[in-house]
Amino acid sequence: MLNKVPEITLIFWIIKIMATTVGETGADFLATHVGLGKAMTGGIMAALLIAALIVQLRSRRYVPWIYWLTVVLVSVVGTQITDALTDGFDVSLYVSTTVFALLLAAILAIWYSSERTLSIHTITTRRRELFYWAAILFTFALGTAAGDLATEALSLGFTVSVWVFGLLIAAMAGAYYLGANAVLTFWLAYILTRPLGASLGDLLSQSQTYGGLGLGTIRTSLIFFAVIAVLVTFISVGPNRPKTAEQA
Amino acid sequence: MTKLKLIRALSLLPEFAAASIGAGALLPSTGIIAPAEAATASKLGDLSPFRAIVVDAAALVDKGDLPGAKTRIKDLETSWDEAEASLKPRAAAEWHTIDKAIDRALKALRASAPDAAACRQSLADVLAMMDGGGKV
Repeated sequence: MLNKVPEITLIFWIIKIMATTVGETGADFLATHVGLGKAMTGGIMAALLIAALIVQLRSRRYVPWIYWLTVVLVSVVGTQITDALTDGFDVSLYVSTTVFALLLAAILAIWYSSERTLSIHTITTRRRELFYWAAILFTFALGTAAGDLATEALSLGFTVSVWVFGLLIAAMAGAYYLGANAVLTFWLAYILTRPLGASLGDLLSQSQTYGGLGLGTIRTSLIFFAVIAVLVTFISVGPNRPKTAEQA
Repeated sequence: MTKLKLIRALSLLPEFAAASIGAGALLPSTGIIAPAEAATASKLGDLSPFRAIVVDAAALVDKGDLPGAKTRIKDLETSWDEAEASLKPRAAAEWHTIDKAIDRALKALRASAPDAAACRQSLADVLAMMDGGGKV
């Protein structure tokens, strides 16, 4: 098996941030506008995620559209888990943020003790990939909880949030280039892309009355989806496409 | 000496505010709450577009058109949800109070056998919440 996950490039981070937004607005649209309700939407998304994950896990190499479709669905399900806890079971955001942080740390610890490496450049076995996706799921749940907590406890509006989370991610990039631990900076930046993506989506979609660009959720989702489609196509074809077993 | 008293008084403010809110929960029309209410009513900003929908739905319930009210209240659900990212950061606790009141009204109107009196009351509650800025 070749490395099943993409290399960490600028395009990787751009697609990741946009996939976060699209996942959330898509689920919101189904639950509210289409009127399916949260429970049914949650069930549908979980089923789609399982299907996508099976296709992703069974592939012998990194196939961009399958990988990124899985990321979008993990984004939705991770968000919905946190939202269900917050809204359905009245779990405090302080509690969910702490618990998901501990769960993520635990999964990374178990991953390390099992594989002796947390490198995402060598996700070449089924087991490593399962650890990878479990960690990704927890980063989305944690990113949702932490982002929501920052919004409520610190009254951070979406414009300020874009700056704050954007600068924090830039700080992670800076730390990485200055020699900080690659695994730590990667996962911290990854968690931060969740609240950044959400705030960015809000900035574009919220009404101008509230300081947004007023594009609405549907148009924002379509724009983001189009950009993702273009970028995923770009990385799938031509000289930049992932290597097959023959070329590796 | 006066400075110390002032500091002591200031440190008691949170407890006083909490006690006032608690008292307000039991005695909605207490005079102690009024200044706090006036300050927080504006925290969430202008809720008039949402208020207008509730007023419409209440009018439909009064006319006996419960299905019509159920259709109209969907507009509130949609627009309130859409504005969540903008309103909630302004005053999260207050936003949640109004959000829960809206949920109760939605539930009443969407019941399989909706009760007009219950619907009317739930919509009145939402209006009271919005006018009070979300403070109980």
